[in-house]
Amino acid sequence: MTLRTSLDPRALPIREGLAREFRRAWQRLAAPGTWWTGQERLAIAAEVRHASTCALCRRRKEALSPYTVDGSHQTPGLLSAAMVEIVHRLSTDAGRLTRTWLRSMLDAGVSEEQYVETVGVVAMITALDTFDLALGLPRRALPAARPGAPNRQRPAGARRDLAWVMTVAPEALSPGDTNPYAHGDKNIHRALSLVPREVLNFFDLDIELYLQDHQIRDFDHEFRALSHGQIELLAGRVSAINGCYY
Amino acid sequence: MRGVLEGDGLAIGVPHGAALIEYGEAVLRGDGQRRALAREALYRDLGAAALVDAAAIVASFNAVVKLADGSGIPLEDYKEKATAGLREELGLERFNQAGS
Repeated sequence: MTLRTSLDPRALPIREGLAREFRRAWQRLAAPGTWWTGQERLAIAAEVRHASTCALCRRRKEALSPYTVDGSHQTPGLLSAAMVEIVHRLSTDAGRLTRTWLRSMLDAGVSEEQYVETVGVVAMITALDTFDLALGLPRRALPAARPGAPNRQRPAGARRDLAWVMTVAPEALSPGDTNPYAHGDKNIHRALSLVPREVLNFFDLDIELYLQDHQIRDFDHEFRALSHGQIELLAGRVSAINGCYY
Repeated sequence: MRGVLEGDGLAIGVPHGAALIEYGEAVLRGDGQRRALAREALYRDLGAAALVDAAAIVASFNAVVKLADGSGIPLEDYKEKATAGLREELGLERFNQAGS
């Protein structure tokens, strides 16, 4: 059956703020980060795209426990074996990651800071590609990497106290640290605060995709073409599909 | 709450809830044809701007889960306490790997 449609996804009206943050997100994906170069960040993004067709990931996803299924990932070969495992698991089965698994990845040579930035890059390309998929737009080619070295700025107040990875509590920020809490200070904002730039990269985009923190419970006003109720219904189902407890 | 997580959304009472649920399911679990049908239905029923916003919500919540799951960050204490009974009833604790 061929679907006859009047809908041209390229002609859909993208809000100005959303379009601006999409442009910025693609640029940031290709730019040097805090612990990875632009080229390395793009290699992570390319690996995310590859993970969806990985046979090992598919077998693990179907297994009662992913930790009982051995094998090799299908990969374009741009990253180390540990990084391929990290990116594929984050992409295809993030809900069943464990602290023990993370420790084994760190033991394999990926630094905690690199891991946290990787989570941010995986989340960013997931958001960008999911949006295009959802509207029926073709998957975009990854941009060219921008030259430069990562700045390796690590917040002084980082501690291992709340999550598997070190984080910086809002009250532990030092004057010289980049403030990752510009968009809110909930635990979800704190999750990647070991690499503050990644928190800002993600939530600069996310507040346009979803809502600003103060808008979420402002039921006196609607901020989108969908109502609060419609937004939360759809968000709840997407979270359930992902097995997201948060 | 159970209707948000399971089923076709008709019992929820949110306007166009079933179309929104089908859209989320189609984007993340469907093939190209199912996605196109779900997209067309939202466009027809709610308009172009709402379709764009729905795509944005799916993108947001398909991505933000990586931050929570990848870092092992827990729910805030007040949310944990407020939703304990609900999570138990819905079996959501099976998803909670934060202590592992």
